[in-house]
Amino acid sequence: MQTSGRNVTANARPSEPLDRRDPVFHARGLAKIYGEGEAAVRALAGVDLDFFAGELVVLLGASGSGKSTLLNLLGGLDSPTAGTLCYRGRDLATADEAGLTRFRRDAVGFVFQAYNLIPSLTARENVALIGEIARDPMPPEDALALVGLGARLDHFPAQLSGGEQQRVAIARAIAKRPEVLLCDEPTGALDIRTGLTVLDAIERINRELGTLAVIITHNAVIADMAGRVFTLSDGRIVNVRENRTRAPVASLAW
Amino acid sequence: MSLLDCKLLRDLRALKTQALAVALVMACGLAMMITTRSLMLSLTAARDGYYRENRFAQVFARLKRAPNAVREQLAAIPGVAAVETGLALQVTLDVPGLAEPATGLFNSLPERGAPVLNRPYLRAGRLPEAQSGGALAELAVGEAFAEAHGLRPGDTISAVLNGRKQKFLLTGIVLSPEFIFEAPPGAALPDNKTYGVFWAPYKELATAFQLYGAFNSVALTLAPDVAEGAVLAAVDRLLAPYGGRGTYRRDNHPSDRRLTDELRVLKALAFAFPLVFLSVAAFMVNSVMARQVALQREQIAMLKACGFANAQVGAHYLKFALVIVAGGVVLGAAGGLFLGEKFVDLYHIFFRFPALTFQPDLPALGIAAAASALAALAGVAGAVQRAVRLPPAEAMRPEAPASYQPAWFERLRIARWLGPSARMALRNIRRRPARSALTCLALALATGILILPNAMRDGIAHVLDFQWDVVQRQTVTVMLAEPQAARVLADFQHLPGVVLAEPFRSVPVELRAGPQVRRLALQGLPARGTLNRVIDGHPAQLTLPERGLIISTKLAEVLQVQPGDTLMIRPLEGEARDLLVPLVGLADDFAGVAAYMEMGAVNRLLLEGDRVNGAHLTVAAGEWDAFVRALKDTPQIAGCYVKNSLREGFRTTTAESIGLLQKMYSAFAAIVAFGIIYNSARISLSERARELATLRVLGFTRGEVGAVLVGELVLLTLAALPIGLLVGSQLARTIVATVSTETVRLPLVLTPANYAFAIAVVATASTLSALLAARKIAGLDLASALKALD
Repeated sequence: MQTSGRNVTANARPSEPLDRRDPVFHARGLAKIYGEGEAAVRALAGVDLDFFAGELVVLLGASGSGKSTLLNLLGGLDSPTAGTLCYRGRDLATADEAGLTRFRRDAVGFVFQAYNLIPSLTARENVALIGEIARDPMPPEDALALVGLGARLDHFPAQLSGGEQQRVAIARAIAKRPEVLLCDEPTGALDIRTGLTVLDAIERINRELGTLAVIITHNAVIADMAGRVFTLSDGRIVNVRENRTRAPVASLAW
Repeated sequence: MSLLDCKLLRDLRALKTQALAVALVMACGLAMMITTRSLMLSLTAARDGYYRENRFAQVFARLKRAPNAVREQLAAIPGVAAVETGLALQVTLDVPGLAEPATGLFNSLPERGAPVLNRPYLRAGRLPEAQSGGALAELAVGEAFAEAHGLRPGDTISAVLNGRKQKFLLTGIVLSPEFIFEAPPGAALPDNKTYGVFWAPYKELATAFQLYGAFNSVALTLAPDVAEGAVLAAVDRLLAPYGGRGTYRRDNHPSDRRLTDELRVLKALAFAFPLVFLSVAAFMVNSVMARQVALQREQIAMLKACGFANAQVGAHYLKFALVIVAGGVVLGAAGGLFLGEKFVDLYHIFFRFPALTFQPDLPALGIAAAASALAALAGVAGAVQRAVRLPPAEAMRPEAPASYQPAWFERLRIARWLGPSARMALRNIRRRPARSALTCLALALATGILILPNAMRDGIAHVLDFQWDVVQRQTVTVMLAEPQAARVLADFQHLPGVVLAEPFRSVPVELRAGPQVRRLALQGLPARGTLNRVIDGHPAQLTLPERGLIISTKLAEVLQVQPGDTLMIRPLEGEARDLLVPLVGLADDFAGVAAYMEMGAVNRLLLEGDRVNGAHLTVAAGEWDAFVRALKDTPQIAGCYVKNSLREGFRTTTAESIGLLQKMYSAFAAIVAFGIIYNSARISLSERARELATLRVLGFTRGEVGAVLVGELVLLTLAALPIGLLVGSQLARTIVATVSTETVRLPLVLTPANYAFAIAVVATASTLSALLAARKIAGLDLASALKALD
């Protein structure tokens, strides 16, 4: 793995030192092939990585680079064709459907590009929904306060702006106090200003709760807020960059 | 094939289970309609052909005896087209293999040539001929009785004619338009074991009863366009001196009337039920197509962008609906024809025709198919119109997200206890009130249609118990050939095993209340008998007063009278004298209609001394065989009815027809419930795929997501069940009232078991289909939930 430095802005924050002994995710030779024979598509072609507790990772790559596939595997939505993938020493590669569901339920918070809120539930209820399945959920109000949504708790998704919806989605993701927050293009559908509020919420969760946050994006600017940046191309990690200081979200612009 | 049609086929393949569910529901309605309509057509055609071919009379009369010369006078009455006279006499039969005596109605065959009217149809063997010397007298037997006893030409049978036991050789098996429904007088159902119809040569029958040169039965046809009333009055005047009991027209003939009643029942079933099914199917087509159009918004936009005209796009989706309708029509026609054939076989038990062939009512099928197609098209039109109206550019964009509001009941305190899943279900229902209401209604109808067949079954059980445990408590009823002095009762009491004997006096009368007239047998009974009792609606036994009349509730309805009104009684035999009597009470009974008076009052009315027609008897069980042997050798008895045998006949014949009906309705209801739930669940799954996939990604298990998917349907089913029970009860009430005639009558009996069965069928069908639909959750593409909406 390579590391490289980058310009540090005036009010940048130094990266926290990582405890590299005990990875949250540990992958070796991770591969995913869709289809068979001539129609086979190699979406991921041997990826090695270790993600650690409390870090904020950005997976950068163009469309088709394999970053979504990697996120699907990390999130337990799919199983690899080859290679090993462990979460806290638990083998995810060979876990069955029920095991993966349990993993998602207990450990992973998802944030989707299209928010994916339940339209028939209010902001508060969307977050409270997680309370039905989580072992030790946060009160919905607290989770919403963490993402800066103290008001508008009783609005339905259709009554909220895109940025607000995405922050509800983040509150929903963290309400179960997950160890991992996986964000798939969280700002993809948002303008810069609202995108920044969303990134700010993610950064705050990462900082205050110590949640491992993995953001996939094609927007290179966002990479500056990460501790480590993995660049994917053609199903492989082609570059790993460690930011000595993480740029404050407010300083990002695209 | 155009490429659009190719697309149609492939889309259909993807929707095959849903399309099949819709087609099946439609098929149920069509099958039911085709079955009933075809049965009506088959029965009507068979009846009309039979009546025409075998010259069924239009007017009938019974009398005591008239010399054969009167026949010429009858023929001379203006307006009479044809006359047939003969003998019809009730006799006691001794059938091999049957312990108790059976009753036979012996009809005479003319001495020369075939009967002018009511010609028998020979099924097997030959007609009997007059014998001379010591040869065995010959007899032809009705088919129903012959089948019940396995009688064939060449067998022999004994009968008591005018007190003399005589042996007969059976020469043939015969049918007659007079006895399509071959049942004892007044009985609602056939009892082919103990009642049969026979034909014997005039000479032998007349000689045995000392009636040679006379007749006691008349059949007439009338010239077209004559004033019926005037002709009938003339016939009555002519026959009165000969003990005429009054003429009656074909529509009062027991066999024809029973057939007409059956047609009325079919007519009642041919409309309401199919309508229910076809409406549900139309709703289902609508929901499937509306979803299909919504899913294919972009495709529609693309087609329009490429230059397809609105009409072409519209036609494409209408065709889609029509293919489903066509499937329903094919399945429905096949099912209807199959069931129709089954029912025709069943009708053979009740109705005897030379040939009752199943005739499919194809025009009805055509009309039903067209109606289904129209209903489906009406259902689809709205969705298609919305789709083709969209400018292509707008259609390319996804539909705006659904907006929700809290449901009104969430303001209630109790709503706080609802979890998010329950709230999702409630709000989904609220967001689509019309669709939810229709789904609920369809499920209610599925529940409701299950009530009727079981209500009919329970009604029959009630009749069995009521009529034969509460009303008629005798073991056997014996009838005398001629009324006799009351002291004959002592003879009955001395028969072996007889515990109790109660006499009765029965006389044909005409009851008149204003313009309403009915002819029936007036029953004279002891004031407060222990055997054949008169029971009111409570049910409590009524005491017959010295003066006054009690009649069946149904008869009061027909005559439009109520207790307190006065009726006129005209005895149709003996020294006729009209008498005005008050109606003092109403009796609850279910078979035929009856009028009761105290026996002494009847005898006073008839200006006779104490006379009886027969008696109701209870017989000690251990001595039944001895009793039956003695009875067969008692010459003055013209016939007897054994209660348990009637009861058994009732049970087997109705059980079979109700059983078939019940199976049919249960299957149809299950199909509707299954179809509705499956279809709703699939549409819900399609609409909410993204939402449900999201839940899966968030860590909900398949079962939990399944619960979210079907939660809404569970609520709708729960709401539908009580409505369905109400609707079903009302439907049963309406149909029971519609089919309640003077000959067949059922009480409305609704039991908890009936309701429980309906709930169980719908709940099971719903659960199974929900599980089947929920299995599709496994196929949700979880990764796609992460993707942005395009």
